[in-house]
Amino acid sequence: MENVIELQHINKSFNGFQVKDLSIAVKKGYVTGFIGGNGAGKSTTIKLIMNLLQQDSGSISIFGMNYMQHEKEIKQRIGFVYDENIFYENLTLKEMKKIIQPAYKNWDDKAFQYFVDQFELPLNKKMKTLSKGMKMKASLTFALAHHAELIIMDEPTSGLDPIFRRELLNILHDLMQNGDKTIFFSTHITTDLDRIADYITFIQNGKHMFTKEFYKIEEEYAIVKGTLDLLDRETEQEFIAIRKTNSGFEALTAHKNRVANLFGDTVILENPTLEDIMYYSKKGGELYV
Amino acid sequence: MYSLIRKDFLLQKHIVLLYIAILLLFSLFVEASVYVGFIFSLSFIMSACSLDEKDNINILLNSLPYTRKEIVASKYIGALLFTLLFVIVMYVGDFLVNGNNGLLLLKEVMLILGLVMITTSFLLPFLYKFKMQYLHMAMVGVVVIYLLTISFFIKNLHDVIRALTLKILALQEIQLYFFAMLIIVILYIGSWLLSIRIYERKVF
Amino acid sequence: MQIIISNSSKEPIYEQIYAQIKKLIITGELQEGQSLPSMRQLAKDLEISVITTKRAYEELEKNGFIYSIVGKGSFISEQNMEMVKERKMKAIEEKLVAAIQNSKEMGISLAELKEMLTLLYMEDE
Repeated sequence: MENVIELQHINKSFNGFQVKDLSIAVKKGYVTGFIGGNGAGKSTTIKLIMNLLQQDSGSISIFGMNYMQHEKEIKQRIGFVYDENIFYENLTLKEMKKIIQPAYKNWDDKAFQYFVDQFELPLNKKMKTLSKGMKMKASLTFALAHHAELIIMDEPTSGLDPIFRRELLNILHDLMQNGDKTIFFSTHITTDLDRIADYITFIQNGKHMFTKEFYKIEEEYAIVKGTLDLLDRETEQEFIAIRKTNSGFEALTAHKNRVANLFGDTVILENPTLEDIMYYSKKGGELYV
Repeated sequence: MYSLIRKDFLLQKHIVLLYIAILLLFSLFVEASVYVGFIFSLSFIMSACSLDEKDNINILLNSLPYTRKEIVASKYIGALLFTLLFVIVMYVGDFLVNGNNGLLLLKEVMLILGLVMITTSFLLPFLYKFKMQYLHMAMVGVVVIYLLTISFFIKNLHDVIRALTLKILALQEIQLYFFAMLIIVILYIGSWLLSIRIYERKVF
Repeated sequence: MQIIISNSSKEPIYEQIYAQIKKLIITGELQEGQSLPSMRQLAKDLEISVITTKRAYEELEKNGFIYSIVGKGSFISEQNMEMVKERKMKAIEEKLVAAIQNSKEMGISLAELKEMLTLLYMEDE
C-alpha cells in the first residue's frame, strides 16, 4: 500500500521538546489518528511534516517527494487545519480568500462557495469575530477548495462542541468516499477517533510507540482485572503497566490471547480505550525508564 | 511570489489609497519631496512587515505553497515596487500641479530609491532576526543618539544633512551616481541573502 | 441491505458486519451477482472507519461469500452459497444423528422424538 507520508529516523530537539528516531508512515486513502499526551511531540511532528521545522537528522518524504526539491509541489497538494488562528484577524473571509486563492493552481471557486454555504460561514465578517469552530470550518474550506489530497489537522476538534465534532466526522467520511484522499490528524479527544480512524499512530516522549489498524488494538490489547494473588514476577511480565489497589489489580496487556490462556477465568478481560492505552503506556514508561 | 506582493497590497489597500491622496496633496507644496517619498515608502514597507510578523501568519504563509526564499523575496521586491509606485504618484502629481517645468528630477527619484534601499537593507534582516518590538527599542536608541548628536556634537546636523542632499543632487558626475547605485544594489542583495539565511532557520 | 451494529457489544464491529452479511446471503436475501455497497459508503452509513468494513469484506471474500472486481465493487458469489448451504445441512444432519443415537440409547421412539422436535422448533419461532 502506498504511503503518503514517510518519516524515517527523524531526530529533532527544540524548545525542550525532543523527537527521537521517529519513523512514521501514513497510508494513502485512510484516516490516521495521531495520539499522544501533552508534550509527546505531536505538534512538533506535524510541524516537521509541514516543513515549518527542519529535522536535525533523518528524512521526510511526502507523496514520495522531499521538501528540499519539491516544496511547492508538495504543498500544492496539502490542506491544513491548525489548532490556532492562522488568519489575518482584521480581514474578512472573502478577503482571506483573495490572499489564499492565488497560491493554488487547483483552486475551485465553486467548491469554495459550496462549503461556505454548507458550513454557513459569513463572508463579510472579520476573522477575529468568528468562533473557534467557524475558524476551523474556514480552514477546512480552504483545504477543500483546492482539492487537497492530504489533509493534515492539528487538534481540529479541541474546543469544539460535541455536535460540531460529530458534524466534522460526517464531513470527513464524505471526503473519504473515493479513496484518493488521506487524512492525518492529531487529537487528544480519543473518542472522536472511534468513528473515523482507520489507523492509530501513538507517540510518547518523542518516540513512536506503534501504528496499527484500529481493530487490531482491540484484538491485541486488553485491560485485565483480577485479584492480587495472581501476580508474581513471571505473570507481571505480561503487562505494560499494573495499577494495584487493596481490592485487586488492573493492568494493560498487549498480548490479550496469551493472558487469556494464562489466567483463564480467574481474571476479567475488557477492551481498552485509547485513553487506557495512553495512560498505562505512560505509567509503564515511567517504570522502566 | 507575485501573489505575495499582491497580498501586501491588499492588506493595506486603504492605507495605500490614503498615502496616494496625501502624496498628491503634498505635490502642491513641492518642497520636501525626497523626504516625503522616503518616509512614506518606508512606513508602508515596515507596516507590511509588522502585519506578517506574528508566528501564526508565518505558519499560514509557510503552509501555503511558497518557499521561504519566495516569502523573503516578496518583501525585497515589494519594497522596490511600492517605492516606485509612490514615486510615480509623486511624479504625476508634480506634473499635474506644476506642469512641465516643475518635474521631479530623475536624481531625486534615484535618491528616494537609494535611501529606501539602504534603510530596508538594514531593517529587514533585523526584523527577520528579531521582533518588531526590538526594532522600536532600536529606533528609540537611534533617536537618542540623534538627539545627543545634534545637541552636543554637531549642533547644525539638520543643516548639514540638507546641504549634503543638495550637494548630492547638484553632483554632475554620472559615474559617481552610478558607483553609488552599484554599492547600494550590492548592499541590498547582500541584505536579501542574509534575510533568506535567517528566515530559513526560523521556527514557528 | 440493512445492517445494525452495536458499539457496546463485545464482538468486534467487523465481525458483526461479517455475521450479518453472511446471514443475509445464507437466507437468500442477498442473491448471487447482487452488488454490495462500497466499503467506503458502508463505513460512512454506519459511521465507522473504512478499515473496519474493509476487514469485514476481506473476511467475506476469503470465505467465498463475495468477490470483488477492481473498480467495480463487491458482489455476492454463487457456488460458494450452495457450499455454505451444504455445509450447514451437513452440520444439521450430524447433530440430528447424534440426537437420534441418544434417543435410541434412552429408548425414545421416533414419534416421541418428532414431537419433541416440533415442540422445540415452534418454541423458537
